[in-house]
Amino acid sequence: MKKRFQKTALLLAATMTVSMVTAACGSSNNLTEAGKTNTTGAVKKDAADVNSGEKIEITFMNLWAEGNTENIAVSVRAAMEKFQQENPNITIKEESIGDQSAYYTKLKTLAASNSLPDVFVCKGSELSTFAKNDLAASLDDILNGDAEWKDGYIPSSFDDLSTDGKIYGVPYSMLSTHVIYYNKQILADVGYDTFPTTWDDFTAMLGKIKEKGITPIALGNKEQWVVESCILSALGDRFTGTDWFKGIMDQSGPKFTDPEFVQALTALQKLGTSGVFNSDMNSINNDQQKTLYFNGKAAMFMEGSWAVGAIMAGPKDIAANTEVAVLPAVNGGRGDAAATSGGSGSGFAVGIKNYDAKKDAIAAFLKAISGPEYAKAISELGEPAAYVVKDYDQSNVSELAVKYSEMAAGLTFTPIYDSFLDPAVISVMNSGLQELLIGAVTPEDLAQRIQDEFDKVY
Amino acid sequence: MKNASVVKINKKTLFLLIAPGLMIYAFVVIVPLFTALGYSLTDWSIGPNKRFIGLKNYVELLKDKVFWTSLKNNLIIVFANVLIQMGIAFFLTVLLSSRHTKMKGFHRTVIFLPVVLSAVVVGYIWQMMYSSDYGILNALLRAVGLENLIMPWLDSPKVVIYAVTVPLIWQYLGVPLIIFMSAVQGISKEIYEVCELDGVSGIQKARYITFPLIFDSIKVAIMLSISSNMLVFTHIYVLTGGGPGTSSMVLAQYAYNTSFVSMKLGYGSAISIGIFAISFVIVILFRKLTEVRKK
Repeated sequence: MKKRFQKTALLLAATMTVSMVTAACGSSNNLTEAGKTNTTGAVKKDAADVNSGEKIEITFMNLWAEGNTENIAVSVRAAMEKFQQENPNITIKEESIGDQSAYYTKLKTLAASNSLPDVFVCKGSELSTFAKNDLAASLDDILNGDAEWKDGYIPSSFDDLSTDGKIYGVPYSMLSTHVIYYNKQILADVGYDTFPTTWDDFTAMLGKIKEKGITPIALGNKEQWVVESCILSALGDRFTGTDWFKGIMDQSGPKFTDPEFVQALTALQKLGTSGVFNSDMNSINNDQQKTLYFNGKAAMFMEGSWAVGAIMAGPKDIAANTEVAVLPAVNGGRGDAAATSGGSGSGFAVGIKNYDAKKDAIAAFLKAISGPEYAKAISELGEPAAYVVKDYDQSNVSELAVKYSEMAAGLTFTPIYDSFLDPAVISVMNSGLQELLIGAVTPEDLAQRIQDEFDKVY
Repeated sequence: MKNASVVKINKKTLFLLIAPGLMIYAFVVIVPLFTALGYSLTDWSIGPNKRFIGLKNYVELLKDKVFWTSLKNNLIIVFANVLIQMGIAFFLTVLLSSRHTKMKGFHRTVIFLPVVLSAVVVGYIWQMMYSSDYGILNALLRAVGLENLIMPWLDSPKVVIYAVTVPLIWQYLGVPLIIFMSAVQGISKEIYEVCELDGVSGIQKARYITFPLIFDSIKVAIMLSISSNMLVFTHIYVLTGGGPGTSSMVLAQYAYNTSFVSMKLGYGSAISIGIFAISFVIVILFRKLTEVRKK
């Protein structure tokens, strides 16, 4: 009897642990409840005018932890505070989650139960999924209702935030995901005073740096997005040209298995297998790749424009020797060499649930945290804005930020893969790239794998 | 007196007393299980739109290479834990229950200590140890002249799954050890004394007395090990994130990635149900096998 009970108990214990995974999915129910109680007060009210004096609450979710010192976070908070003072009848209820993956997990859980916040920060590809599932509101009417505001933005900055021709988010910065940050001292030691402009020269230089016992390119791709977002988005475009990617998105013929894209993968694999990256590239992350660079153990690393701040905060001698560049032209490539993958990337999006009821208040709030005044504030901090600002005080802008903006002025922005492609396709591409770099999959097979997933999703 | 009052509890009171526990259990285990089963029959990506697609997700699951790689990895981890961890634990039990061992309490505490550490901390510590340039493991190999064994442990697709298993074996060694130790204490001292009089060696004692007499506890420990290792997530998430590629992907992480990275919640639920079904089969199979053995 006792034994029997023991066995049953064990079996129960075993199955119980097993079902914890499933329980994780079920817990979204709780969040739904919480989300509802948060907003019900506001939902009941009818369309309220901004000036009518009626109290309106706007929920605002972002990924800048309180006390975050990044330029964008500080400027958004300042703009928000000012907005609160000018509009006492509107209350902004802020929720911040500093960890990016936790933020998106929460956002997706909220989305799964249709309780997205009124205003939230969102990446292009996630936003497009929300838009297709009627979870995010199209902002065309409020933007078209204020033409001066809309026309102030760099037109291409809406590309990442649009789906099926409609705009779903307003951009708050213009970033490039591919910038090469290199140590000019190390390059000079191997005989390069300027960054190479041809692919052959580039790879020859990498070889020379390697001979000196220095890792040519520091790479931390454990989180898998780094290679795709910061290298392949630019390298791919060098080979395929931007029209190819547009064709992929329109499904008008081009495929990932096209020779141009396979060539790009082949070039990337050659870099990986020839040892120009550190050998533990797939088990360290993008912060650790900067550490390698800061220690002088690596000659360069590739990351987005957001890394400028981190470099300026790094060791002084390294920061002073740092220059910026982008990948050189490739042999037989169809893309422009004076280009980098970039765009607004993320923006402020609006949950559809309370949009109609609070439209005017939301429009005013969006303008305050992304419009002209905000843009001027971040420009003065050296952060590239998505809203065109003519005159601002440049005295506080760091040297590297100036170098970057001078370079960026001469570049065209090409699509960032993970701003456009469906997350399912991106996750196949991202994990495949890890294998590609260590030679565990051929470029042809990986291209086929990406295409198969693409066909499944679209 | 007290015994009498225990007997008096009637069925209704009994039910009332277990009701809260039962309700919590139902709410956090049974209900989500059935909702997940429901979701797994839809093409739910995110948002309010769900379309019933029958068993399509399961058909896809059967053809999904990553799912089977993950299962294979889980099974490697389970087998390594059952064989190596249980083996070491049994060996240590025999040593620690010997009359000649000193500082038994100290050894037991030290071996049990890692069990209470957070899996994230353990993951980070081992990540540093495995680091190819600065890690202690490669430094040790270099120091003893085994340069040819040096490798990026977490970056080689062939080695990585074993590399991530070692921290699991190390961290949870204390659990079977404690279970075995308490079982050994239940064995009557006279048996050992009689054996010693008959001149039985230590190895024979372990083989013919300790092992059969604590076999039931060993089964308990193995069952716990199977169920927890089928769901291992945190260590691998921290150490490699399933990479390179999917070389160290395990089922729980694949379910997580599919649901919350690729946003395919319907398919992710199907994976979870798949994990549930497979784990259930393995546990039942194990019970059947060990019952036969006892006869």
